[in-house]
Amino acid sequence: MEEQVEVVSKAFVEHYYSLFDNDRSSLSSLYHPTSMLTFEGQKIVGVDEISAKLRDLPFDKCQHHISTVDSQPSSSAGIVVFVSGSLQLPEEEHHLRFSQMFHLVPSPAGSFFVQNDIFRLNYG
Amino acid sequence: MDPDQLAKAFVEHYYTTFDANRAGLANLYQEGSMLTFEGQKIQGSQNIVAKLTSLPFQQCQHSISTVDCQPSGPAGGMLVFVSGNLQLAGEQHALKFSQMFHLMPTPQGSFYVLNDIFRLNYA
Repeated sequence: MEEQVEVVSKAFVEHYYSLFDNDRSSLSSLYHPTSMLTFEGQKIVGVDEISAKLRDLPFDKCQHHISTVDSQPSSSAGIVVFVSGSLQLPEEEHHLRFSQMFHLVPSPAGSFFVQNDIFRLNYG
Repeated sequence: MDPDQLAKAFVEHYYTTFDANRAGLANLYQEGSMLTFEGQKIQGSQNIVAKLTSLPFQQCQHSISTVDCQPSGPAGGMLVFVSGNLQLAGEQHALKFSQMFHLMPTPQGSFYVLNDIFRLNYA
């Protein structure tokens, strides 16, 4: 069970940040109507609202570099994932450091969707 | 209680207990609780408290910068995401950290920590 949780989490993290960096609008496929995002303290609920928030972030291109991924099985077959890394924006000399947590919940189709998502920049 | 208030109350209680009497954290965890501490996985209240009480410092003080929370689903769970500083006695610079908790309701009407993940934030 433990290895499965790790495998799923690593695959999810790779997929999530790859979409974010290359095809941000496709992130909507990972959220459901009940999904919640808290982005730098701002609370957003639902696929459309979350997609709009991520789409409207004040940069066109970015690249996430992942430093750590921790995961644990949670209640009701869910998985909690805790990520830390840095976010590189074009023309910015210094990367932004961030932490992010996801609560993944099994979907009827047999994969996972993001029920909870909390993002915070880590200031020096 | 309003979820944000609940999260704030839990965070205050958790770090106050950590800083004053680390062994007192035992009743916040159960047999099925999991802690990942800087990548090391520990399960069960006894093992978790053993890990926390054997950390290589006697005294510490947590100061909390941010607390975010969200309800996790129909089971009544609560996710809490914390960032802050950890000051160790005798150290000039505080360590920065992030921590997430997944709290689950107990039959008695309070909460216990099902999932706990702690990471230092290096510059």
